[in-house]
Amino acid sequence: MTSLELRQIQKNYGSYHALRGIDLSVEQGEFIVTVGPSGCGKSTLLKIIAGLETVSTGKILINGRDVTTTEPGERGIAMVFQSYALYPHMTVAENMGFGLRMAHRPKAEIDAAVLRAAKILRIADQLDKRPKQLSGGQRQRVAIGRAITRSPDVFLFDEPLSNLDAALRTQMRVELSDLHARLGATMVYVTHDQTEAMTMASRIVVLNRGSVEQVGAPLELYRNPANLFVAGFLGAPRMNFFEVTVAAVSGGAATLSAAGLSPLTVELTEAASVQVGDRVTMGIRPESISLAAEETASFAGRVRLVERLGRETILYADAGPLQCVSSESGSGNVTVQIGHASAVAADATVGFKVEPRDVYLFSSVDERTISARKSTITD
Amino acid sequence: MFPRPFPETAIWRRRLYVVLVTGILIVWLAPLFAIILTSFRSTQDVMGGNLWGWPTQFGLVDNYTAVFTQTPMARYFLNSLTITIPSVMGVLILSTLAGFVLARYRFRGNMLVFALFVGGNFLPHQIMMIPVRDLMVRLNLYDTMAALIIFHIAFQTGFATLFMRNFIAALPGELFQAARAEGATPFQTLVHVVVPLVRPALAALAILLFTFIWNDYFWAVVLTISDTVKPVTAGLANLRGEWVSAWNLISAGTTVVALPPVAMFFLMQKHFITGLTMGAVKG
Ligand SMILES: Nc1ncnc2c1ncn2[C@@H]1O[C@H](COP(=O)(O)OP(=O)(O)OP(=O)(O)O)[C@@H](O)[C@H]1O
Ligand SMILES: [Mg+2]
Repeated sequence: MTSLELRQIQKNYGSYHALRGIDLSVEQGEFIVTVGPSGCGKSTLLKIIAGLETVSTGKILINGRDVTTTEPGERGIAMVFQSYALYPHMTVAENMGFGLRMAHRPKAEIDAAVLRAAKILRIADQLDKRPKQLSGGQRQRVAIGRAITRSPDVFLFDEPLSNLDAALRTQMRVELSDLHARLGATMVYVTHDQTEAMTMASRIVVLNRGSVEQVGAPLELYRNPANLFVAGFLGAPRMNFFEVTVAAVSGGAATLSAAGLSPLTVELTEAASVQVGDRVTMGIRPESISLAAEETASFAGRVRLVERLGRETILYADAGPLQCVSSESGSGNVTVQIGHASAVAADATVGFKVEPRDVYLFSSVDERTISARKSTITD
Repeated sequence: MFPRPFPETAIWRRRLYVVLVTGILIVWLAPLFAIILTSFRSTQDVMGGNLWGWPTQFGLVDNYTAVFTQTPMARYFLNSLTITIPSVMGVLILSTLAGFVLARYRFRGNMLVFALFVGGNFLPHQIMMIPVRDLMVRLNLYDTMAALIIFHIAFQTGFATLFMRNFIAALPGELFQAARAEGATPFQTLVHVVVPLVRPALAALAILLFTFIWNDYFWAVVLTISDTVKPVTAGLANLRGEWVSAWNLISAGTTVVALPPVAMFFLMQKHFITGLTMGAVKG
């Protein structure tokens, strides 16, 4: 059953187009994570679903009911804010029961709902405290608890974990996924943390400058980005992009050439219309590049910097004429991620190998992906 | 630029600072001290010109009892309370309502209304003396407490609205969004969220308003004539007419009149809890 449906949502602030026609259909129980760069309209979208902002044009349906002009309190949504937005003068219990109290529900019902939510979130012993007596993680739980007590159809989260430290964020991430499984409720979650998006989402919505770039399961987006933006946005360290020329096209595959690169033949999608001599953008994820002997290497480079993270090693290599047009380091260096502790040291000149099946190609006209689909399972 | 503490090493600057502060305090408190001192003296001392020396005889109890038994001060006092309390309440309610709307709702003319509230403060109230008096006469309210209450509310609401608007505008916006998302009506938001959070502002404002209105002399003289409606300020002036030489009584009366604002301050002090909004957002 469709729980939330957005039809051609547009939002203008004066002449500024914050949202440019968003279409989205969310099934009951889905965990939708919206990601995108700062200012792309994620919070605006959430506020529009909540009813805190009006749409310029478009329709919002919750459980099939048109709520485009309905007051926030009657939409069956609950929102958790980045700053928690707890009422400082109320106790935890009063904060959590606020919505029900405003709806004049019987006290017994409110108490029961508050206690139930508090138990789920393990804050039942904090009910008499005030927000400022709580730690960041506890405040966040109260804010989530306040949403739970109203048993909404759709939960809305606006970067709820961004004020927490790394360890607590990981813990809360797991708890939130768990909570989602227990409640089985529809959730729309905004973040710009990739890990949150990849780990929690049933589907990710990538937003850019007020438009949806792509919607899909996390791994699908990661393996088959629809365009250069999504490819560059998902994945850390970022994908390396290079400008290359098409040297030959045959049998649905293009052979690429560039200074410093030994020719690579990459399969194309059927829709791609590529001619010899075209310039295209080639994308290679840092983890798809491996060390190799110079004679078998796709390109060679001088290691500028080594980051040893224990589990993995990240290299930034200057590949001479083969310059990255956009990469993690932003300096033209190629980012390479090696899945073990490597002995490579700075200033060494090493060979790097790339498998053609790991190479992405993007049209330089509209930035769409033109390399063939990749399987989401890689073993 | 904000005042910064002098460094420990700047001894002379520190001393100069202490001397200046003391000097200003003395100048500031001298009239009050003189009045309190005079209210302790007996009539003989005052008549005899012993204004600054050690009193030959303490008239403390006599003077203060006389203020209430030999003059209509008790009546004036009651009048003042009857005028001031409803006025303060009225201003607080109106300015909170207006401030909330001006701070939190975007509507056509918002800035214009706000500008009117602010601009009104720059008009000297005195220029309205004749029209206000005429208006009250025509409304049959001249020489009633209602006249004073209405005008105090009208004149103080502008400033108070500016004050409350800015305070409410400074509250974290997400609190209001949260309340709205949870289905609270604007009025519920006002009562359950805004008012508890602006209590320190309301307390400060209440003290200011109480002092302004209690100390008002101008409108008291313009709008009242009978002893039954006159507030203490106008009443004190009456006292001087009748008891030309009794400066010790007038001083005692003045001291009594000055007490309610002071009491008000101590009463409200505990509400001046700063940082009540702390803990609302992150941190
Ligand atoms: N009330 C407003 N008036 C005018 N412009 C606004 C308003 N609210 C948001 N915007 C603009 O709309 C755009 C999207 O804002 P939004 O808050 O949705 O971004 P976001 O994706 O949530 O960013 P972040 O990741 O930084 O939170 C921004 O460019 C912002 O400047
Ligand atoms: Mg945001």
